[in-house]
Amino acid sequence: MVTVIDGLSLGAIYALIALGYTMVYGIAKMLNFAHGDIIMVGAFAIFVTFSTLGHPLIAILVAVVICTVLGVTIERLAYRPLRTASPLAVLITAIGVSYLLQGIAQLIFGAGNNPVNFLASLGVVSFSLFGSQINVSWSSILTVGLGAILMVGLTLFVKYTRTGRAMRAVSEDRGAATLQGIDANKIIMITFAIGSFLAAFASLFYLSKTPVNPTFGSMPGIKAFTAAVIGGIGSIPGAMLGGILLGMIETICLSIPAISSYTTAIEFSVLIIILMIRPIGLLGKKRRVKV
Amino acid sequence: MKTLKYFKKQFAVKHFISYFVLIGVILVMAVLSATGALSRSAYSTLTKIGYSMILAVSLNLVVGFLGELSLGHAGFMCVGAYIGCFIFNLLEPVTGSGILTLIIAMLSGGVSAAIFGFIIGVPALRLRGDYLAICTLAFGEIVRNVFKNLPFFGGAKGLNTGLFDRTTLLFVTLVTVLVVLAIVQNLIRSKHGRAITAIRDNEIAARAMGVNVTYYKLLVFVLSAFAAGLSGVLYGKAVGIIRQDNFSYNYSIEILVMVVLGGIGSMNGSLIAATIITAVTVFLQNPPPAIRDALNLGDDTLAIVKTIAYAVILILIIMYNNAPVFAGLREKLSIKKLFAKFKKKDPGNISADEAKWDRITTKIEMDEVLRVDVKKREGELTDPDKPERGAK
Amino acid sequence: MKTMKKVLTAILAVALTAMLFAGCNQSGGTAKGGVIKIGATGPLTGSASIYGISVNNGANLAVEEINAAGGVNGLTFSFEMKDDEATPDKVASAYDALLDAGMQISLGSVTSGACLAFGARAAADNIFFMTPSASNADVIAAGSNAFRVCFGDPDQGVLAAEELTKKYQTIGCIYDTSDEYSAGIYEAFKTKMGELGVAFETRTFDQDNKTDFSSQVEGLKNCDVIFLPFYYQEAGLVARACAGKGLDNIVLFGCDGLDGVAGEIDETVKNQISYITPFDVASTEKNVSDFVASYKAKYGAEPDQFAADGYDAIYAIVNAIKAAGVNDASIKASDLCEKVKAAITASSFKYDGVTGSMTWDASGACEKSAIIVVVGK
Repeated sequence: MVTVIDGLSLGAIYALIALGYTMVYGIAKMLNFAHGDIIMVGAFAIFVTFSTLGHPLIAILVAVVICTVLGVTIERLAYRPLRTASPLAVLITAIGVSYLLQGIAQLIFGAGNNPVNFLASLGVVSFSLFGSQINVSWSSILTVGLGAILMVGLTLFVKYTRTGRAMRAVSEDRGAATLQGIDANKIIMITFAIGSFLAAFASLFYLSKTPVNPTFGSMPGIKAFTAAVIGGIGSIPGAMLGGILLGMIETICLSIPAISSYTTAIEFSVLIIILMIRPIGLLGKKRRVKV
Repeated sequence: MKTLKYFKKQFAVKHFISYFVLIGVILVMAVLSATGALSRSAYSTLTKIGYSMILAVSLNLVVGFLGELSLGHAGFMCVGAYIGCFIFNLLEPVTGSGILTLIIAMLSGGVSAAIFGFIIGVPALRLRGDYLAICTLAFGEIVRNVFKNLPFFGGAKGLNTGLFDRTTLLFVTLVTVLVVLAIVQNLIRSKHGRAITAIRDNEIAARAMGVNVTYYKLLVFVLSAFAAGLSGVLYGKAVGIIRQDNFSYNYSIEILVMVVLGGIGSMNGSLIAATIITAVTVFLQNPPPAIRDALNLGDDTLAIVKTIAYAVILILIIMYNNAPVFAGLREKLSIKKLFAKFKKKDPGNISADEAKWDRITTKIEMDEVLRVDVKKREGELTDPDKPERGAK
Repeated sequence: MKTMKKVLTAILAVALTAMLFAGCNQSGGTAKGGVIKIGATGPLTGSASIYGISVNNGANLAVEEINAAGGVNGLTFSFEMKDDEATPDKVASAYDALLDAGMQISLGSVTSGACLAFGARAAADNIFFMTPSASNADVIAAGSNAFRVCFGDPDQGVLAAEELTKKYQTIGCIYDTSDEYSAGIYEAFKTKMGELGVAFETRTFDQDNKTDFSSQVEGLKNCDVIFLPFYYQEAGLVARACAGKGLDNIVLFGCDGLDGVAGEIDETVKNQISYITPFDVASTEKNVSDFVASYKAKYGAEPDQFAADGYDAIYAIVNAIKAAGVNDASIKASDLCEKVKAAITASSFKYDGVTGSMTWDASGACEKSAIIVVVGK
């Protein structure tokens, strides 16, 4: 039971990050390898604001603003000039941006860990279920709860608002959407903003598990990318499903001593098996290839 | 006699320029090495450039010619390094630590990597594009994770294999580059190569034309993995210890950077980019003492500056090569134009059209097609590699 | 097209020759002006950089102090650390560059994996090195030129098994399967526990899964003590995972890698954390408190064990050079190695450092006493 909650809370974080990957891929058709580092910047923003002002809500607000602005800035400066270039060129620029953010973070904050504890200091809930005592931290519950609210909110936004419709249109066919009068550049910018907005929350939740340092974002980044592919890259419900699935697999594998040292292999094997059965991920959309 | 005549006609320096340069480098190195003029850094850097070249060329075969993105190239290298060096360690007491043992180790490393190439080639038949890319990435990470848990390969500590004599290793590496390059170039300039590019350009159409897609896709993956395996063994003997964390997806991406910067589908480009990127990273990691003293930053800050400099160089090169914003600047500063000044030709004569046409790789092939056609009419020997194109 | 290729070829040739010349300029080897060049490699960027930076700081502090005091035997010292990102292949080029720049004696590498690659090269060139922190047993086995300041991994595993079985009933252990330090201690610990006939529970993690320890802690929640043979960053995460589950009564016990854990935890962690270490930052010994004070003044932070090891490694080398009576900086690295080796293994040689009083034998292992430091509760 506790393992399930631990898995869910890790999965919710992966899902939030995976949403950023999947939306950017779906709409701009690029793999944003710097997404993990936006989480790192968000976490540093929370750390700095919280340790100077001491107010968690202001810290979260500042992180959200900084992440969103950073996401849009990176898109504007690094990716938009390459809109017509090959996807590989953009991929490598994204990697360059990722190195750059890590380097700058180490230059400013040093390589050490900076713990932020306001989520952890919320304490632990204890209750008994089927006669066994269960302790769950508030931060896990908050992660799962807030994560779910954000994901539902995003789904509603994409489904029912004008901007959301425009985003789906650009994702289907950028050229046709532009002909319909949609400003594709603006929509891509909004996508980056939303992805980075979610990343700010992911950084908040991830901070409850681990202190921030310059390589804070790289590990959840690659895991979330895997999650996005498992779910079907480009699909929003797929990213959520993939994130939670991956979080559960990771937590369960690590809790079984016999296989725990093979956790990475198991996670990626699941990915390959799923892709072999459904080459477009669990909830991915099939695209017809024209000759 | 006829053959010789044909050879004379067919022979064009530009097709073999990379071989000449490489042979030249080997000869120069041999002289310098014999006179003892080579510094220690030169040996290790050149060896590193050598195995990076093999990696870049073999990855370019997959990315540039088969048209599939592979993010697991370091995984093949990992397999080759572990198994090849393991066999080296086994053989060492029997056959000594000479060049023979190294060659056996390289072949076994290459073959075992090729087997893994075959295994990863199978999903490649079903997946395309980014899904295949993530699949290869996953494969690389699985390989790494499994090697970590195998105690006879050293476990977490890694496989200790000892250093190979650095002079011999450098020459073996450079010769291997030459051999790999010859194999790859011959493949892509043959009818097989045209089948592979046909699959890249349109898989369904290629299949309809009777190209055996399964065979060629597997061939490319196996060949590319084999070369990566060779490179892995060379790496292992150059470094002395093989640790799985060296072969993470970051390393695969580093190889991909070489391929992309050198130009996707350009073998010469891959060779040059492998040289430049390796040289730049080594230079940034170990700046000459004069620069280190002049900056006076402290070694830890210097290391961060190195990371940032590398990132900025990467972004700038990509921007310069690809962004429409820099199109004018590219035109202005193009090497072609710069060099045109030294020729009698007026630089202004190169029209934008001509410049564009030059960039399209198929131009060389068009030349060849035309030439073959002409010869067919004259009733001369045809290039055995291009029978279908000549026969109309 | 033809010109294009020619140009590219020219660039290739120029790049290659440029590298050669860069090398040639640096070769020559010996230093001038009575400066002995001490070289090292360590992770200065990347996820392990925190350890490399600490060693670099500690070593630089020691070199400054020694030079400010006028050096020894008329010699002064310079220290250079190249970034190896804790990977062996970066060590290869870093080592050669150090050698070309005239390195005569060395601190080896900071991490064990990198130091194995360093040791293989240094053994071939007969360069003396004194690694501050590469504790894997194979590091000093590479050659007679290899020495260390830190404890060896197996010794700590054995010591921990003895300590834990004395005090606690149910014992758990978490270790890092991708780290040779952690795996090395664990193997020795497991063997010793088998000899003692005590059963214990094990959980693992690796470099790809080390940010969330809740599932491992969940599996060991009924233990009295969890043995953590790895570094303080991860140990801090284990402590936080315990706090997140309200498991305040579990004692966390670790090795010298845990030194520095106090900076990783906060008031939410109520567990007792103790570890075996040669270095206690709160020690009242004069040399230790002096070191801590000057380190703080220079870098604005408390030194961890890595910094202390780096500091001691430099002093050990310099004291050995002094004892060997070397007074000419133009000495060949190989000759220096033989002299320093003879001096440091002499029975009369003893160095009182901030990580304790040390002596060395021919194996390269360092003899010094361990203390157990307790953090919290």
